[in-house]
Amino acid sequence: MKDYILSGLRALDLTDEKGFACGKIMASLGIETIKIEKPGGDKSRKTSPTLTTNNGEEISLNWLAFNTDKLGITLDIDSPQGKEIFKRLVQKSDFVIESFMPGYLDRIGLGYEVLSEINPGIIMTSITPFGQKGPYANFKGSELIVSAMSGVMDSNGDPDRPPVREGPDSITFHSCAAAVLGSLIAYHYKVKTGEGQQVDVSMQEVAVTRTSSNLIVWEFDKKLIKRNSTIRTVGARSTRWIWECKDGYVFWAYMGGPGGAPANRAIAQWISEEGLDNPFKEITDWDEFDMASIPKEELDIQQEAISRLFNLHTKKELAQESLKRGLRISVIQNPADILEDIQLESRDYWSYLEHPELGLKLRYPKYFFLSNLTENFIRKRAPYPGEDNEYVYCNILGLTKSELEILRREKII
Amino acid sequence: MNKLALEGIKVLDFGWALVGSLTTKQLADHGAQVIRIESMSRVCLTRTNRMISKSRADNPDDKPWFLHLNTSKLSMFLNLKCKSSWKVLERLIKWADVINSNFVPGTLEKMGMGYDEVRKIKPDIIMVAGSGYGQTGPLAREWAVDGTGGALSGYLDLTGWPDRGPVGPNVPYGDVILPYFIASAIVAALDYRRRTGKGQFIDASMVEVCVHQIIPALLDWQARRHLQKRSGNRIPNASPHGVFPCRGDDRWCAIAAFTDEEWTALCETMGMPHLANDPRFATLSLRKENEDELEAIISQWTMQHSAEETMHLLQASGVPAGVVQTMEDIMKDPQLKAREFLINLKHPVIGECGHPTPPYKLVKTKAQIRTSPCMGEHTEFVCSQLLGISDEEFLELWQKGVFQ
Repeated sequence: MKDYILSGLRALDLTDEKGFACGKIMASLGIETIKIEKPGGDKSRKTSPTLTTNNGEEISLNWLAFNTDKLGITLDIDSPQGKEIFKRLVQKSDFVIESFMPGYLDRIGLGYEVLSEINPGIIMTSITPFGQKGPYANFKGSELIVSAMSGVMDSNGDPDRPPVREGPDSITFHSCAAAVLGSLIAYHYKVKTGEGQQVDVSMQEVAVTRTSSNLIVWEFDKKLIKRNSTIRTVGARSTRWIWECKDGYVFWAYMGGPGGAPANRAIAQWISEEGLDNPFKEITDWDEFDMASIPKEELDIQQEAISRLFNLHTKKELAQESLKRGLRISVIQNPADILEDIQLESRDYWSYLEHPELGLKLRYPKYFFLSNLTENFIRKRAPYPGEDNEYVYCNILGLTKSELEILRREKII
Repeated sequence: MNKLALEGIKVLDFGWALVGSLTTKQLADHGAQVIRIESMSRVCLTRTNRMISKSRADNPDDKPWFLHLNTSKLSMFLNLKCKSSWKVLERLIKWADVINSNFVPGTLEKMGMGYDEVRKIKPDIIMVAGSGYGQTGPLAREWAVDGTGGALSGYLDLTGWPDRGPVGPNVPYGDVILPYFIASAIVAALDYRRRTGKGQFIDASMVEVCVHQIIPALLDWQARRHLQKRSGNRIPNASPHGVFPCRGDDRWCAIAAFTDEEWTALCETMGMPHLANDPRFATLSLRKENEDELEAIISQWTMQHSAEETMHLLQASGVPAGVVQTMEDIMKDPQLKAREFLINLKHPVIGECGHPTPPYKLVKTKAQIRTSPCMGEHTEFVCSQLLGISDEEFLELWQKGVFQ
């Protein structure tokens, strides 16, 4: 087995759903990441939707998805003894990641000031809806709320319905990636100087960075770019990019100019080969094909012709023809399609992880990126409650097994 | 001014568009010296896209989009199609710790700049390549944009209303997430090099990063053949969970209740405490069952208030709520203001322009953001100050068309 890209580092993970992926990414890079739960297990283990284990317990899909490769311990950090144990762990760690309401850790005596006295090199990364300070810092938030507050949601959906959220928890995931980046940059500085610091991630701000082009259009031209279904607008340019096909939907960007020419030419060619009405047959110079100058009625006729072609074919056929003909079509894959994706398969993208508690072996994405030298692979399912208590408390902290037993009886762990 | 965390790191940047530009922006804003290679033979699309009426077709320096994406970098002209550019390129490679790129896979190799070639010049170089599908596999060289990632990774399929087709937002998705992973890989690779003396080649794909987000749906399908689908704004573990109409034109407030406490607080704030224990709504599963009715009742209340009032009333009672903000609202948002998230920078061509700052704040080594370079602005500076090229040689190369 090759090395991980990072090694010899340790992270203590106190996060809830907002921050699970941060520790997951860190663990995949080789950082020993210890997920800390309340004795008895985190309540987010039960967050719906859930699967049922062999013992009849419910286990959250979200929990399983975003806690891979972590060690799992139980510890009541609100109890005086639990706090002391946590502080001892901090002495032996490089990162603490958390997603409590701002100020919570300060109130229980485990804020950055306290922890940095114990370990001046510690990096404490916080992921919260609105950041650590400011008038909304204590507002309650979630994926939906920050999507609304960031302007992402205002740009998504059908014009005749309310704005709509993104399917996956994209902003949460993006914020976790931002937290990893911030933590690693802080670590780079710590190696040089010995000094740790706080990293303050605001999910709202993470999402606002995505709205860059819309911000610009408002700032300079006072125009708002609103939700528009299947059409993507970037600045002054709008492109239809979602189309129905025989058994689902595909992505195809209908663009003019030299950028769109190769795909447009190939689509027009295919339409005529299929013997369909071809509104493009007069077009000879596709580089000069300018969407902005086409009258709306003509554009509608063109789009209908393309729709007819797509509706004659399945997702699979369109993907195959796209590769053959250079159509630049991508299937809008559903979760089942993704598991059959030939590109992912060819890159050995899947890890098969054992789940004895479910009696199943399940496929997970194996990596976030590939390297010629290091193997940053996801290798282990999410931990059971307290699964690694003995390793962490005895091997890392040097407690004896009988001390561990006392802590267990007192419900500290 | 505070110290910067990545001071001393040198990055040779062939990145462009969103993925390439945003990757090195993260490093530059935190102190790395980033030389962005540009050429009139391949102008970045963010220098040509005329988003605003003020931008002209023939001026690569008047596009605010480029400004947002390339802060704190240097820009150097180098025409790689000109043979003599190699004399400069070799010195740049020797100078660099990191080389960033997001060409179509195979392009670097065609240019003679594949990893194996480059490491002959600089054995411990860290090279990163971002792409749509990754460097290998049957789709590697296929055309890809942000939406491609959204389509193939399952994101678009799950976004929208259950009775309609998928929709996508007018903002990027994979194009902005991938750069954080590549930048993290770079910082991690620098640490690996410090410990081992070895560089490495990183291959990062937008689709592959994005698929991670829908692992719950992948597990759901594998474990019990349950296919997750578009569900509008509703989710299984909260109710209500949606956006509600408020006073005004197209004004909305998002409201979510994850717990019974939040639900009770919502009822009290609406002046309908009896609703909390109403047999239709008393538990999460009942609220999920009667969600249409529930949403109609809440809408009746929200329509009497502005979106801002709705949010403040609910947040004051501990109910998660947030205005569906427009860009106009974002510019005035008191939270973003208090955190100095949007800052104004003065650019020689565009003048004052607002910029988002990194949304992950390093408290001790705060990012310092300089306005983005004009095209080729630092060509001479890089050659004379960083590469030690004499004035004579510079002129000679100039005449050969190296700096175009």
